[in-house]
Amino acid sequence: MTSRERIFAAIRDSLGPRRAAPQAIAAEAAVLLENPQATRPRLAAPDLAEAFALKAKALGTTIDHVPDMAGVPAALRRYLDAQGLPPALALQPAAELAVLNWEGIATHPSLAPDEPVGLGLALWGIAESGSLVIHSGADNPVLLAFLPLHHVVVLRRDRLLPHLEDYAAAVQGAHPPRNAILITGPSGTTDIEGSYVRGAHGPGFLHVLLVGS
Amino acid sequence: MDAPQLAFKERAAAALADGALKIAIDRTTGNAERKRAAAVAAFPEFEAARARGKAIKDHVIAHLDHYLEMFERNATAAGAQVHWAADDAEARAIVTRICLDARAKLVTRSKSMLGEEIGLPHALADAGIERVETDLAEHIIQLAGERPSHIVWPAMHRTREQVAQLFKVGHVPPPAAEDPATMVQSARRELRAKFLGADIGISGANFLVADTGATCTVTNEGNAELTTTPPRVHIVTAGIEKLVPSTAHAFALLRLLVRSATGGEMTQYTTFHHGPRREGDADGPEEMHIVLVDNGRTRMLGDEFRAMLRCIRCGACMNHCVVYRQIGGHAYGGTYPGPMGAVLTPVLDGLAQSRDLAHACTMNGRCAEVCPVGIPLPTLLRAWRTRSWRERLEPGSLRVGLGLWAMVARRPRLYRLASRIGVRALRLMGRRGWVRSLPLAKGWTAYRDMPRPAGRTFMEQYRAEQAGRRAPE
Ligand code: SF4
Repeated sequence: MTSRERIFAAIRDSLGPRRAAPQAIAAEAAVLLENPQATRPRLAAPDLAEAFALKAKALGTTIDHVPDMAGVPAALRRYLDAQGLPPALALQPAAELAVLNWEGIATHPSLAPDEPVGLGLALWGIAESGSLVIHSGADNPVLLAFLPLHHVVVLRRDRLLPHLEDYAAAVQGAHPPRNAILITGPSGTTDIEGSYVRGAHGPGFLHVLLVGS
Repeated sequence: MDAPQLAFKERAAAALADGALKIAIDRTTGNAERKRAAAVAAFPEFEAARARGKAIKDHVIAHLDHYLEMFERNATAAGAQVHWAADDAEARAIVTRICLDARAKLVTRSKSMLGEEIGLPHALADAGIERVETDLAEHIIQLAGERPSHIVWPAMHRTREQVAQLFKVGHVPPPAAEDPATMVQSARRELRAKFLGADIGISGANFLVADTGATCTVTNEGNAELTTTPPRVHIVTAGIEKLVPSTAHAFALLRLLVRSATGGEMTQYTTFHHGPRREGDADGPEEMHIVLVDNGRTRMLGDEFRAMLRCIRCGACMNHCVVYRQIGGHAYGGTYPGPMGAVLTPVLDGLAQSRDLAHACTMNGRCAEVCPVGIPLPTLLRAWRTRSWRERLEPGSLRVGLGLWAMVARRPRLYRLASRIGVRALRLMGRRGWVRSLPLAKGWTAYRDMPRPAGRTFMEQYRAEQAGRRAPE
């Protein structure tokens, strides 16, 4: 007997011979997701963007409002200037970002081990928790969200979802990426005497450019 | 796993004598307790969410074979290789073999209690593979050559001065100052090169999502993704109880997990790992292996400890435990400390080795009150006590003592006589209202005094009272 067989035999031994049909199990699992508002927190504000911003800011994320995608490079420049950083960054190789006018900012696709700034695009924002969702892929290296000290993320207002379940529903049935990542605030740790320190391994600064009106 | 060097009582006594340890424990658990209370207060639906979380775990446990098959099918379809380990030795062997096959020299690891449970750190060392712990707390205890003392804050027993000492020796160059921010920066610099130079990254899983075949890690530091992305191979080690039906079910449990563990609402990084790098992907490992570990879990499924399979490893039970807060995690001697550890350690290490743990419980019920999946921890500890008695693991003196007591207690006259003698003897031993030392019970009186008893037993006083009442009639 292989260990796999042994484990299954032990489970079936304990659970007994009368087993539910897969459809019945699926129905039971679905019931456990019914009426979700009874078991999840309410939004911090009725407006999605406002709720998102309240939650994100509470965790140390900074937010800048940008009227449209064309305004992203200028907003980024504002951030770099305010932080005293030179006009250079690692840019996610996404079509939506590549078409923007980056004049005056040196963008590169590669990531140095101690990359100062990385700019990427969030697929969704989640108002409940102030989270950003990114998916890995050909146009999105995972490390872009982890190596830079400053992670700047473009999020379009029309990509805001109320709750975590809404993200699960949005991707239901689609082929999942290698990594689906929910980012909620800059990297932090409380491992030394419980004192909160930002920038443990991932970015110490998370800046969101919320695009749209 | 190493056999504990000292008996539980000796380890606990040593911990009690360590003043710095007490301060460190109080600081972290006190903070955790306050933050959890605030997070629960800010989430009026918490009780309903908890009932649902418990129901989700019970549902998965009741259909464990179904969900394991579904997970295996979907993870395999995503390109991951699924391995099955009946026990810790097999899990170690599988992971070591994957490392050796990949000719790995350097392995990074993102905190996983299951990895500790199966003894992965030693196995890798024995295979001559360099292991670098990347969670900051795990990094600290790796430098100290210790085991975790808490499942969420493994280095909570270390003060900042002690961490500074460890980093001074372990980091090149050493940190410039001893404040936490400077030391965290130093660890960031030190570990960056390791992340990027590793051949294999090993992580645990907080959830295994059956309907997608994804494994889910949650961290606040971002070390999991830095561990799992750059190397050629990603290995996941996970207990078979980590399954959830779908991503939405994982979120329901995540809300409970984070609030109960740190008092936050969401971990900074919640990542679903779904197979190895896709064609065209900008980064990611070429191979993904998932090692599903039983190690006593199917046994728990069949006995009175089944409810323990609901555990989501949040650590709330230890943060709220009066015993843990006195002695810390190392005194427990197993992989998992605190109330949940006292239940799990006998499963993993054997009851004969660890029967003291179930006794080191005041049964105040705080752990069960805060457990986000409603595990009746005191009831489970009592079950171990019962089993320990039935399997005759209690020491002879206790068995004889309890046997004598039971014999006397079943004979009211004899019992009354014995208590009359006892009460008078105790009065003779006491001074100024307190008994400071008792023969045969020095262990008890070393730390506490006992009030000197009244001169007569309750039954004597009751009789006298009744006689007095009756007299006038
Ligand atoms: S037993 Fe409950 S409180 Fe303790 S770690 Fe497990 S889930 Fe958390």
